[in-house]
Amino acid sequence: METNNLFNFKRLLLLMRRQIFSSAKSLLIAFGGMAGTLLIISLLVAYFNPPALSGMVPLYFVVMFIGGYVFTSNIYFELHQVQRSYSYLTLPVSLTERLVSAWLITGPLFAVFSLLAMLLIGLAGNLVMQLLNGTMPFNLVIFTGSLKTIGIYLVTQSVFLLGAVYFRKNNFLKTLLALFLVSLALNIYSGLVGWGLFRSLSGDMVMMEGQVVIAPLENLMTKVLPAVFKFIFWYLTIPFFLVTTWFSLKERQV
Amino acid sequence: MVSIKKLSFGYNKKQRLFDQLDLELAPGNIYGLLGKNGAGKTTLLRIISGLVFPRSGACTVSGYASSDRLPSVLQDIYLLPEEYHLPALRIDSYVSVNAPFYNRFDHDKFSWLLGEFQLHPKNMLNQLSYGQKKKFLLAFGLSTNSRLMLMDEPTNGLDIPSKSQFRRVIAASISEEQVLVISTHQVRDLESLIDPVIIIDGGKIIFNQSVEHISRHLLFEPVKEGGRALYAEETFGGYAGILPNTSGKETRLDLELLFNGVTANSKEINQVFEN
Repeated sequence: METNNLFNFKRLLLLMRRQIFSSAKSLLIAFGGMAGTLLIISLLVAYFNPPALSGMVPLYFVVMFIGGYVFTSNIYFELHQVQRSYSYLTLPVSLTERLVSAWLITGPLFAVFSLLAMLLIGLAGNLVMQLLNGTMPFNLVIFTGSLKTIGIYLVTQSVFLLGAVYFRKNNFLKTLLALFLVSLALNIYSGLVGWGLFRSLSGDMVMMEGQVVIAPLENLMTKVLPAVFKFIFWYLTIPFFLVTTWFSLKERQV
Repeated sequence: MVSIKKLSFGYNKKQRLFDQLDLELAPGNIYGLLGKNGAGKTTLLRIISGLVFPRSGACTVSGYASSDRLPSVLQDIYLLPEEYHLPALRIDSYVSVNAPFYNRFDHDKFSWLLGEFQLHPKNMLNQLSYGQKKKFLLAFGLSTNSRLMLMDEPTNGLDIPSKSQFRRVIAASISEEQVLVISTHQVRDLESLIDPVIIIDGGKIIFNQSVEHISRHLLFEPVKEGGRALYAEETFGGYAGILPNTSGKETRLDLELLFNGVTANSKEINQVFEN
């Protein structure tokens, strides 16, 4: 039977199983530790200040984001140690499978499990309060708006996936530093461009029938560009970083 | 099965480890890859298995560039490195997670090899000794039935009984379809196993001959000081030398002497094979 060298679903599942298996212990400790800490904090809040329990959700998401980024940054740990990398790189799987497997585990699957953990923590808080004084302070409806937050996680997480392949050591911190430097450079650049544009525009503004007419370039800066950035963020970021990660994986040597 | 053509490689641009290297490896052979420390034996195995890429030239396995790391090609390659890390898993768990990637993995052969090496499926991999880990990886590698097996210093860390066990297991497990490349500088351990012999030095293959050819063209016997040997070195009570075989008689191949002779005088020794 001819082997499909591009993508095979069975191989993908096997690789995901192998990746989860290889780091199952540390994964369980980290996930359990985080969830346990949040549970204890939530129970204490539920007991001492029940109305504040629903306000814990942003904290849950902050922990999920940071945990997810660290997890993503370490997903290719086998690549960066010579003694481990030989077995990972000679494993009969395609590049696409290596990429998709890591992305699925650290992106959608991590998000789903985190969301489930948050729900369970909330339910545990409710259960304890139900037993203690018959109230249910945790409002589960607040999770309906979490889809957008999960979306933001998936978009930003793809940056850390590239960092996981690109950097050999301290992947999480180096990716953070790279993000900071790139955003700083972009801010300085866009600030300079904006300053240049609006400085020249100030003389062009005119009064028509007692109202200031918005100059076309100002319209561009306030309406068109934000829409473009929004489009880039939601629809292009993940494909861009996944493709870049694919090429980084392809070029990776021991 | 493996074809290397005009391959050049260096870990940095200034220093070339290999320069215009050519090599063909055919099925049914157990190649002994010999060379001094730093000659590039490990690097050559890494290039063949696609772990590092040539700077120029080509390295193909079954017609495909090894650097492409195609699953169909990787299914046919198993690399036993000199240094490795094994996860904190039981042997049976490791096999259940990794064996399904290899279509031809033979579980019966694996059980037999585990028995031979006195390992138990419930053993934790991270608690095994260095030699036991090597035996486990060897058992796993041989059970994949990969057509190309690359072994980097496989007898390092093995005790004396394990070395003979290693030779026995290899001889019993390798088929005519397979290619085995053993990189080593411990030539005495594998003298009876390897054929042909490849010697690498100064970024080039300086010797590549089958044992039959070597025996037909060279004699390994004691020589007198100042005699006309291709190469001679002092041993206890005299000199051991390599001579051109003009009499047709056969002597036992002394790989260590051959290696020393070829690295010291490759030109004259290779000329004997051309005549």
